[in-house]
Amino acid sequence: MISTGMYGIDDMLGGGIPVGSRVLYSLDPGVDGQLFMISTLYEALEQKKSCLVVIPHTTVEAFLHDVEQLRGHKIRPSEHAITFMDIADRERIQRQVSKTGSSLREWQERIKKLCTENNVDVIVGYFDIIYEDFGLEKGLSLLSPACFPTKATIIVEHLNLDGDAFLDSPVIKKSFDLILAVKSSFRPLPHFNYFTILYTSWSTQLRRSVPFLVKNGHIVPYIPKIVVTGPPNAGKSRFVLNATALGVSVDRAGTDGTSTTVAMDFGWLHWQDFDITLYGTPGQPRFDPMLPGILKNAMGVVLIVDATDPGQFPRAKQLYKTVAKMHVPVIVAANKKDLPGVIGEDEIRKGIGIGKNIPVFLISAQQKNDVRDVLEHLVDSITRFIC
Amino acid sequence: MIRQQMYSYKTGIPQIDTATGGFEAGTNLLLLAPSLSFAEQFAYALTRPQAGEYAIMLSTNERASEVIDLVKSTGADKHFVGVIDAITKSSTPAVSDTERFMFVTNPTDLTGIGIKFSHMIETIFEGTFSGGQETGLFPPPIRFCINSVSTLLMYRKLEVLYQFLHVMTAKLKKVEGFGIYVLNNEAFDERTVSLIKQLMTIVIEIKVERTDNYFRVMGVPGVNADWHKFTISNGQVVLGL
Repeated sequence: MISTGMYGIDDMLGGGIPVGSRVLYSLDPGVDGQLFMISTLYEALEQKKSCLVVIPHTTVEAFLHDVEQLRGHKIRPSEHAITFMDIADRERIQRQVSKTGSSLREWQERIKKLCTENNVDVIVGYFDIIYEDFGLEKGLSLLSPACFPTKATIIVEHLNLDGDAFLDSPVIKKSFDLILAVKSSFRPLPHFNYFTILYTSWSTQLRRSVPFLVKNGHIVPYIPKIVVTGPPNAGKSRFVLNATALGVSVDRAGTDGTSTTVAMDFGWLHWQDFDITLYGTPGQPRFDPMLPGILKNAMGVVLIVDATDPGQFPRAKQLYKTVAKMHVPVIVAANKKDLPGVIGEDEIRKGIGIGKNIPVFLISAQQKNDVRDVLEHLVDSITRFIC
Repeated sequence: MIRQQMYSYKTGIPQIDTATGGFEAGTNLLLLAPSLSFAEQFAYALTRPQAGEYAIMLSTNERASEVIDLVKSTGADKHFVGVIDAITKSSTPAVSDTERFMFVTNPTDLTGIGIKFSHMIETIFEGTFSGGQETGLFPPPIRFCINSVSTLLMYRKLEVLYQFLHVMTAKLKKVEGFGIYVLNNEAFDERTVSLIKQLMTIVIEIKVERTDNYFRVMGVPGVNADWHKFTISNGQVVLGL
């Protein structure tokens, strides 16, 4: 496997990119997605792979400077096994031949020669200029085994001005083993970028869409909002506090002398290379008017119930009905498994009115490992969720 | 301060501003002009940010430093002007981006141009573009000028550039900006000009007769398409007799 250089994404891909694969990073116009290909290139170089970089739109010096600006680290051609075809090569080829057919052959021969001379393992290239020069099918022929060694992994970035029609075209699907589209909400505020793994040839996973941030030269997938809800005294605040590195809870003394959340719990954590923000709701029905606001834009929900108290189930059922309208992944965390009188999973499902499609985890919110298990499963469900 | 009504962009040309009340937010304007017709200065006059506004110039012909000099000559405050420079980096590869000056290697790099444009828009919306001198209008009024579409067409095919401009004009509409696109109508065939026109809401055409320059406005209700003689003085469009 070759790492993408983005570890959260490696996990989603089952460990990275299989050697010999062809990868398309498709960028919508204006989306800050150049780090995807650069991260993969950088990682390949770190793994001592020999790389050919095809940059027909720019010079080697400008490219290296851009990489340094984006990534924060230099690629040093003297230290790394890296070869280039840049704008000067494109102009040279254009001068040498005037007909497209022979120009394509010239490209093929030049690439083949560089691959052989440098024993190239990974080819990284910008496709849109090639696409423009030769059209889709001829351009894609440059990625064929006729040009590249069979074992070479090919990573291509493309500025996609054609939208979904380009990504859905059969010839594109046939030509790549991984298609990852980088898009943007293009709402100025709040602005967010996201990527979608549209297709992998080596697995049958569902398409996944995940927002990401660019932090210190790295792509960081993030989940802007997970909501933790449930009846009063189910253990929501404990869950949020034990899940997160930084947590805040706004509690007041309840009528029974115990504390109860009156505004919300809030926590942040970095987990499996995702930045995640947790919002805990108050459990009292009088706070229900707040729920739609808190649930808005949530990407997943943890519904916590006290597994020793069947009296809570009607309230949990009521909350589940509200949550189910969001059409986002939901997990039920049946808390207090360490106390006597724990009710079985089937009874909990019956009490809340949920089917087998909703996972139920028996946990103790006091146990960080239990809490993390729930989040791990939820993150996995969110990133598999079809958008 | 949140804008209560759709913003109007004043051109600084009294005859147009009086007749129209300024161009509506989301307007994309094509400036069609032959060579040596003061089209560039005309474009700079239209792009000049008024109080509370911002401007972004995509320059395929002048370096960022030259653009800023030209902007200053119109009387604009440079703190509210950003430049995407598609010239300097080819000769100075190590030039680094700042909030208001961003660089792409050459006009071929539409990926880079799109990203730098988005960055500047985001920075303006976040209120960090002008180093604490933000005016607080929201959404912030933004003028965006491509000088010139002609040069972009020399580097990329018409079909590709059409798609790219389609995206840019749509984004300008979404952020309620005002786009100005300069195209030399002598250098390209009718089909090219006509295709680019399709993306625009307004066209200003410039012509030169003997030693005089004229412009006319097309596509604005209430404004006739008569030719007006003009000169450029201190970065402003001044109508002649």
